[in-house]
Order: sequence, then C-alpha cells, then structure tokens
Amino acid sequence: MVFSSIEFLLYFLPIFFIIYALVPNRLKNLVLLVGSLIFYAYGESRFLLLLVVSVLVNYMAARFIGAENYYKEKYKDEEKYDTYLEWRKGVMLFIVTINVGILLLFKVVMGGETLPLGVSFYTFQILSYMIDVYRRDIPAETSLLKLGTYIAMFPQLVSGPIVNYDEVSETLNSRKMTWKSVQNGLKVFTLGLASKVLIADRVGFLWNDIQMQGYESMSTALAWLGAIAFSFKIYFDFYGYSLMAIGLGSMMGFKLPENFRNPYMADSVRDFYRRWHITLSRWFCNYVYIPLGGSRNGEFCTIRNLLVVWALTGLWHGGNGNFLLWGIMLWAVIVVERQVIGFLDRHPINGESLWKQLNLIPRLYVWAIIPVTWMFFAITDIEQLKIYVGRMFGSTPEYVVAGDWRNALATYGSLLVVAALASTPILKRIYHRWRDHMVMNVVLAALFWICVWRIMVEGNNPFMYFKF
Amino acid sequence: MFKKILLKIYHKWKSIPEDRIFLVLLVIFGCVCLTVTGGWHVYTDPVKEGGGMVLAKLGIELPEISLPKWELQKPDGDEELVADAGKKEPEASSEDVSVSESDISDVSDNESGQDPWLNPEPVPDSKLESEPEPEPEPEPEPEPWVPVFETVGDEYFDDAVFIGDSRTVGMYQYSSLKETSTFYASVGLSVHKLFTAKIVEVPGQNGKITVEQALSENQFSKVYFMIGINEMGTGTVESFLAKYAESVQRIRELQPDAIIYLQGIMQVSEKRSAKGDHITNEGIAIRNEGIKALADDETVFYLEINEAVCDENGALCAEYTGDGVHLKAQYVDLWKEYLKNHAIIKP
Repeated sequence: MVFSSIEFLLYFLPIFFIIYALVPNRLKNLVLLVGSLIFYAYGESRFLLLLVVSVLVNYMAARFIGAENYYKEKYKDEEKYDTYLEWRKGVMLFIVTINVGILLLFKVVMGGETLPLGVSFYTFQILSYMIDVYRRDIPAETSLLKLGTYIAMFPQLVSGPIVNYDEVSETLNSRKMTWKSVQNGLKVFTLGLASKVLIADRVGFLWNDIQMQGYESMSTALAWLGAIAFSFKIYFDFYGYSLMAIGLGSMMGFKLPENFRNPYMADSVRDFYRRWHITLSRWFCNYVYIPLGGSRNGEFCTIRNLLVVWALTGLWHGGNGNFLLWGIMLWAVIVVERQVIGFLDRHPINGESLWKQLNLIPRLYVWAIIPVTWMFFAITDIEQLKIYVGRMFGSTPEYVVAGDWRNALATYGSLLVVAALASTPILKRIYHRWRDHMVMNVVLAALFWICVWRIMVEGNNPFMYFKF
Repeated sequence: MFKKILLKIYHKWKSIPEDRIFLVLLVIFGCVCLTVTGGWHVYTDPVKEGGGMVLAKLGIELPEISLPKWELQKPDGDEELVADAGKKEPEASSEDVSVSESDISDVSDNESGQDPWLNPEPVPDSKLESEPEPEPEPEPEPEPWVPVFETVGDEYFDDAVFIGDSRTVGMYQYSSLKETSTFYASVGLSVHKLFTAKIVEVPGQNGKITVEQALSENQFSKVYFMIGINEMGTGTVESFLAKYAESVQRIRELQPDAIIYLQGIMQVSEKRSAKGDHITNEGIAIRNEGIKALADDETVFYLEINEAVCDENGALCAEYTGDGVHLKAQYVDLWKEYLKNHAIIKP
C-alpha cells in the first residue's frame, strides 16, 4: 500500500489506528505486526512469504549467534565451546550471504525488474540487527513478535528510515500513545503528504514532459530545468515519505530517526550526503566504512574505503551501470573536496577556513553539481544519459525545440520557487514555532484534505524509492 | 436565538482539549471536503459493491470477467460490439447515424483475422458495394462521391481540430500546427472523461470548458481523433469501444459537416509493451480493429498512423520515443506527414 493513496488515507489509517488505540497494551505489538503484514500484502502479496521467512530465519540465526553465555554454561569444556564459536562464525557468514544474496539476486541478476517491495530496506535493517548481535553490541531478541514488529512495522517497512534495533527495542516493550502523540504525529504525516503530493508529484510533471519531448531536442536551458526539477522531485518524494513514516511512528509512540536535514543547504557534496538519506549513510558508515578502517589509516586507505562505500551505495540502488557511475562520480567529487576543503581548513585565514567564509559560493557549487549527479541517477540508459548530459553542457543537436524552456518556466516556474523555498529550513522553523497554534491546525487540516482531493482527481503516484 | 446557538457552539468548541483540536478539525474538514467534492462514494461504494473498491472518480472500473471472450472468439466479440453500439445509439437522430449496424458487420466480416494494419487502406470498395441495401434513411445526397486519400499541404489543417490525449498534446507542442490548428487535448484524457473534463481554454476567459461545449460553439471541417491509451487499465475492450463509438457519435452530432478521422491508437515501444501492465501492443491492436470498424469511409475515416512510426513488428520504433509511449519532439513530423498524405478532400 502507498501512503499517498485513498486506500491508505481513508481506510487503513483510520481503521488501523482506532483498533490499535482500543486494544490493551500487551496486544499492541501483535496488532501492529498483523496490520503491517496486511499493509504489505495489499496490492502485491507475492513476496509476503519472503518477508516472513526472512524474519523467521534471521530470528533463529540471531538466537543461535547470541547464545554465547548459554553455550559457555552448557559446555564447560573449552574445546566444545570453541566448536560453538566456529559454528557461530559459520552461521553468521551463511546468514549474511543469504541476505545479501537475495538482494543481489533481485537487484542485479534479475535486473531489478521484479523487486519485492522494500527488500533493500528491510534486508539492510535485518543485516544491521544481525551484525549488532554478532558484535555483541545488543543481545539477541527472544521474542519473535518483537523482532517481527521491528522489521515489518508498516511506517518504515517499505522505504525506511533504516532503524537500528537498539533505537526502538525499548519502545517495542512499552510505549505510550496519547492524544498529543497522535495529533503531533498526524501533523508531521500531513507535512510529508503535502511534500509528496503537492510538490514532488507536480514538479515531476516537468520531468515527465522532458521524457516525452526526448532529450535530443531539448534546449540547454530546459536540460538544466529538468535536472533541477528532478532534484526537487526526488527530494520531496523521499523526504515526504520519511516524514510520513516518522509521523506514523510517533503517533504510536515510536521515535524513528531523521532521514534528511535540509540537504540542499549543504556547503559541499560531502556535507550533502551527511544530510541526505542519513540512515543509509549511517548504515554504510557503521558496517562498511569503519570496519574497513575508516579514515584512521592515512589518506590512501581513506580514499579506498570511500570508494568501496560509494560503489556499494551505487549498487544498492540497482544493478544498472548508471548507478555505479553515479556512485563513482560522487566518490571522485568527494575525494577532490577532501583535498581542497582539507587544505583550506589547515590554512585558515583570519582564524577561519576560507571555505566557510565564502558563504554562498560553496552552496552555488553544490546546487550546480548535485543536479548533474542526479542525472546519472535518473537515466538508466547510458546512451540517453550521454545525450542528456551533452545537452546540459551545450552539445549541438540537429534539432531543438525553440523556446521549450520558456514554456516549462511558465508552467512550472512558481512551483519551482515553492520547492526551493521548502528546501530551506524556513518552513520547518515556522512549523516548530507555531505547531500548536490554531492557525497551524487549520492550515494543516486543510492541507491534508487538499492532498486527498488531489489524489482523488489525479490518482496516486508510487514513491520513487519503492523501486530500490 | 441565532446568537444563542452560536454562543453554544463557541463554548462547545472552547471545551475541546487542546490535544484533540487538530483531530476534530481533520474530521470536520474531511466531512466538508468529501461533501463538496462528492467523495463520499469512496466509503459508500464498497458497501454497495460488497467489498470491491470502486473509485469511480478516478475512472477505475473493475474489469469484467468477460474480457478473454473478445480475444478468444473474435467474430463473436465483434457482433457483441455491434449490438452494444446499436443499443447506445437510440437517442441519436437518424440522419447523422454514421455507424450503422450493417456497416460494421460488413467490415468485420471482411477483416476478421487480418492484421489491422498490414493492409492499411480501409477497403472502401467492398463497403460501398454494401451501401445501398442496408441504408435505412433516404438521405438526400447529391451525388455518389468516392473518397480517396490525397496529399495536401499544411493549410489543410487550418480548419481542423485535434482531439486526444497526451500524444495529441505532443503534436500540439512540437509540430508547426500549434499556430494554425485547434487542439482540444489534454494529458491523461480518456473516452470516459472526454466530454466531462474541462480542458479547453477559451481566449479572453477565465476557466476552461468541456470538449463538448467547445465543439458545439465552434465548427470545423476536419476532426482528428486519437484516444485510447489511458483507458487500457480500466474496463474491457468492449466497454472501451462502446464508449468510443458513443463519443464518435456525439462528435458527429456536434460537427455534422466535418470529416472525422479516427486515428488508430499509436502503439507503444516493444519494451513498454513487455513491461507487464495493461498497456500492450496486442491490446492496442485489438482496440484499433474495433475503431477501424467504426469508419464508414464516407465521412468517418480510419487512419492507421502506426504505419508511419512503427517497426516491422508493429511496435513504436524505439528511437522515436523517450518513454516508450510518446513521440519525441523531432519525430512528431512523421505523424503529421502521414496525415498530410492521407487527407480526404470533399468535392
């Protein structure tokens, strides 16, 4: 089910929360799990079994891996315990291979055509849990219900945020749903809904128009407008989803981690990816970058580790060559940035790095380079990608639709301005300042129904990150 | 009295705890929204339908189970269509009924089983032969006139109107006809919304009007009609063709003197067709066959524009399209050239 669909907004959301509120506390996890499975199976139940089996297998494996103390007691004999440790390692290797294998199978071998909904997200979440148990950071969860709820809870099942188990394990035991939490959660949800329906989907029409027209005949100005439109589309789509997830979570008393922190306000690409899809970057940082040695073994190793992380990030998005190109490109940019910004940091002028003093210029640089990198992300056909990027940088085509960008600007100009404004922290600040004010209540309630009305008229668009 | 009620409401309102006020507002606004937009059917329809969610506003209709019948037994299906089309037409005034029963059955007899556009010419002779016998209304036609496709210049389209969906919007945006011809086209248009959606802008006026209104206010000599791709996920081939026939009928009524060109639904690229949803080239071909049967080759003509833009397998050429569905800007002229080479000039 899609958050921004009539089925979800007018049926699932009210019905689920009424039932959830009415059942006693000890049944809340069960209701949440069953609700989540219904949510997942609605529309596409083919891969429900995969999810269930995945949870079961990982649950048992974690029980085994986490049972060190039990086996230590059981086998007083050192040798037998060592055999257990060997087995522990083997099971871990096996389980990681299985999880990653399934992901690779669907994403690379089968070309991402038939992808189980949310598989990249829940697999990463399971992996984080398994690795944490293996590293003895957390104990293995004994309750299958709790683990199942952690993996499958519908707010974050399909597109994240990728939650670490220790972030929610206590809330899974006991949490409070109050009028206040429901109300504030719904407000955050509404903001996410508006971001998706009123900005992402609408600005996405410009991107669709360009697909229709074909890249060959675009003017250079339109190519840039298209790249900017896509940059907004992907941000408000995914940010909107994350907000909705966080809102739904907090209605029930969960505190899901933030996934975005005004990425388009970043002053370098490196900074951008600290603010973009934070839970994924965090995952790669914790489970790949730091185990490889992070940045502690000199610049060369750091660059190598970054390469691994970015290549994997590209691969995570899909097996197509363009995603790998996208990852490598970001890696190259970030490596150069490390040198330049590092140098400026080491040689401060008037006690501060020049990069910081330049103020707007680093931002202009980010605003120019990020849309270009998004094109590598958006266009899966390499030949088409070449044409698009060529048009951005003024290749001369045989035939150009004269003034196409003027049309686009006339139709979408005001929307682009709204999107740009919403990318700044201003709206967020206004929201937090006036959250409980009557005016805000009225505005948000109206916004919610305006979105519902738009969806009724135009039909819902699936979220972009559903295909990753 | 009135003041009292207001005061009472005000006090009730004040007594709502602050941590609930947003929820109350949501419910109130929801009731208003669903009432104003007529959205209550979202809740009432499933009850009526016994569980099946019918979002009529979205134009989503549950597919009828009879779908395969058409595909498996084409001749039968054809007859059903005829019956359907016949049923839908009683209100039409007899003189401009262009789609008479016998016409269609003739065409379908002649053509059943043939690939719809390997033989693009719409076999006019066989049709004309059968003409005298079934024609029920003695129309005062001056002289028998045998229409043939001729080649014309751009000025031919000056008094033409193009009606259609996003594909036609592409023609508007990227061909030179933008300045001279009239376009009643909008993205996502379907036969179901054709006469109800307000898509036509009127110069010097705020708001838009429906195609129906626009057609009744303005007269054209030629009507180019292409629609049908957006309907593919909904309903059946039969329900689509019935609605399509009804639309042609209505256009005929509103534009009694115009030549109506029914353009075959443009195929999609092979990749798009294989994507696994409702949009397939086979589905388009079946629909085009039905559309072709609606032409009478006197005032309503079928144009197999797919000849101009498809490869040897009958799929939209991959290089002509960016998204698999629409012609790229620089290839829209292929379509236009085809129309220029397949024009009827009335005596």
